[in-house]
Amino acid sequence: MTPSRRRVAGSLPTPGLRTLSVSAAVTMAAGLALVFFYAPLEAEQGFLQKIFYVHVPMAIVSLCGFVLGGLFGIQHLRTRDARWDLRSYVAIHMSLIFGVGTLITGSIWAKGSWGHWWVWNEPTLVSFLIVFLLYATYQPLRFALEDPERQARYASVFAVTAGAFVPMNFIAVRLSTSYLHPRVLGSTSNLPAPMAFTFLVCLVAMVLLYATLCSYELTAKRTRAQVQALRRRLAGEQQHVPQRRARSAAPVVAAPTTGGSS
Amino acid sequence: MLAEVPALPLETAGKYVAGAYVVLFAIVLIYVAIMSVRLSRMQRELGELLELTEQHAGDDTEEAATP
Repeated sequence: MTPSRRRVAGSLPTPGLRTLSVSAAVTMAAGLALVFFYAPLEAEQGFLQKIFYVHVPMAIVSLCGFVLGGLFGIQHLRTRDARWDLRSYVAIHMSLIFGVGTLITGSIWAKGSWGHWWVWNEPTLVSFLIVFLLYATYQPLRFALEDPERQARYASVFAVTAGAFVPMNFIAVRLSTSYLHPRVLGSTSNLPAPMAFTFLVCLVAMVLLYATLCSYELTAKRTRAQVQALRRRLAGEQQHVPQRRARSAAPVVAAPTTGGSS
Repeated sequence: MLAEVPALPLETAGKYVAGAYVVLFAIVLIYVAIMSVRLSRMQRELGELLELTEQHAGDDTEEAATP
């Protein structure tokens, strides 16, 4: 590896990203230790209730991420700054991944406690699936539009509309009469102190994991944009520089200028 | 609410709990693997571009040195 290559490779991880990664790893480890060595066993479900500490924080972070994507979408529509569109895209993209995790862990929990992988008459499960499927159309929407500006604008409108749907959906489920699904938000004070503490540590760990993965994704996308800008600049100077263009749903972000004429 | 003895036997519940936590770690591991592939591709592209830049700079020096 030449020294110039080494410099570029070494400049990728930023100090903030490193701190975030370490705190996420430490909090995750602490959360796991608390779950298995500190939190008491629940009377009805016993050891199976340990799934609560991974499933519920993942669901909360996923839903909050969808709302965050909507807030970033509002900022994009207000300012027309492509960076907000990128943030909105990454927040929703990561929330979808966490949503997949929530659905799988929820199914495992349902199988263990109810004997079925999925229960269609349980509003919390079905409403989360509806939200997930709604956001699953976000990427195809972006793929369907070729013009980057229109893609960003339509995606932001989608993010805002769907983001407003998430809390409404949550309230609707709360108002429903079924009490089959364990209630968490608003009833954390009913949990015994060791359980509540463990749950809060796991929630913080999940938030940090989400923030870390979002930060990695944002850094990767920005670096990619810089590489493409460099390739375009070199292509302007040399005709034989190959242009690599891949169709992507990811937002097109202008790379920061490094000075000099382009 | 709490009891000393779990309602479900550990051997029955254990596999479900293990499955749920494995899902979390699998998601993180898959993500890290995808990121490493993307990072190595980006590093390769950067290497190519740097080589082209150095080559371009070398050509310019030769042209300047030619009387």
